[in-house]
Amino acid sequence: MMTLILGGSGSGKSAYAEQYTMDIAKGNKKYYLATMQVSDVDKETQTRIERHRMMRHGKGFITIEQPLSISGVLQKMEMTDSDVKAENTALLECMSNLTANEMFNGNIPQSHKVVTDKIIREIQLLNKKLKHLVIVSNNVFEDGIRYDEDTTEYIKALGSINEQLAVMADKVVEVVVGIPLCIYDADIAE
Amino acid sequence: MKLIVGGYAQGKLNYVLNRYVTEDYVVLDGGLTVNAQDHGKIIIINHFHRWVKESIRHGGCPETEVKALLAEFPDCIIVSDEIGNGIVPIDKMERDYRERTGRLLVELAGQADEVVRVICGIGQKIK
Repeated sequence: MMTLILGGSGSGKSAYAEQYTMDIAKGNKKYYLATMQVSDVDKETQTRIERHRMMRHGKGFITIEQPLSISGVLQKMEMTDSDVKAENTALLECMSNLTANEMFNGNIPQSHKVVTDKIIREIQLLNKKLKHLVIVSNNVFEDGIRYDEDTTEYIKALGSINEQLAVMADKVVEVVVGIPLCIYDADIAE
Repeated sequence: MKLIVGGYAQGKLNYVLNRYVTEDYVVLDGGLTVNAQDHGKIIIINHFHRWVKESIRHGGCPETEVKALLAEFPDCIIVSDEIGNGIVPIDKMERDYRERTGRLLVELAGQADEVVRVICGIGQKIK
């Protein structure tokens, strides 16, 4: 089962996603898949990571750092955990970082198509191996600004990824000023 | 307190005036200072996000100032753009502004009796 949680900056989507994941994991093993690049962190990113760590503290998440090639977490889960995988839940935070990392990792940016296909393929793989996958993604689409080519490619990639994740998801939630709004629920949809 | 959020130019203030205002009111734009003659009226804080930005720009603490406002006018109506739904800006001040406005709105939504999101003039009551 997959849940997609969307929201803008400072919307409270992370806090909601963590609570949501704890509720559905019900005491089963839960992983936190951290996608923020930690190799070249500046002070602000460090503060942001610390804030998220504090928020997670004591909630029983096992953190796996995976800024690239997200399906790589499967191997790490097997290494750290011999439990039945089928009971595992994972929270991926967040798709906007993963997409940026995949796109701008090399000397020249990848096209939105290459990035989108790679990420979707890996998410499909991951989703099959987990009982529940919760993905946090960002709404970066509503500032009405025309950006340079690279940023436009990035926006296209994330837009397309969100769209495809929503098709795969059983539930899509948008968080607005900390309030979760369910925009799709397979149980309610016809 | 009521919180009204939505994108730019979505008819948020009109929504408030049509929906909530039946008696004397005052619309504050760009500040939180309520003049003595306006005490007792319905207080509407319009363009809340712009005020947050100005406050940060001048080294103020919008979080504290909002708390003081709510203590004195617990029934006010706060109207704000949702500004977090875009590409994270390169400029640090712009990033701070978005982040802090977002967190402030989450906090206000938690305290509000009612939260409405307005899109093309239509209000969705989300709390």
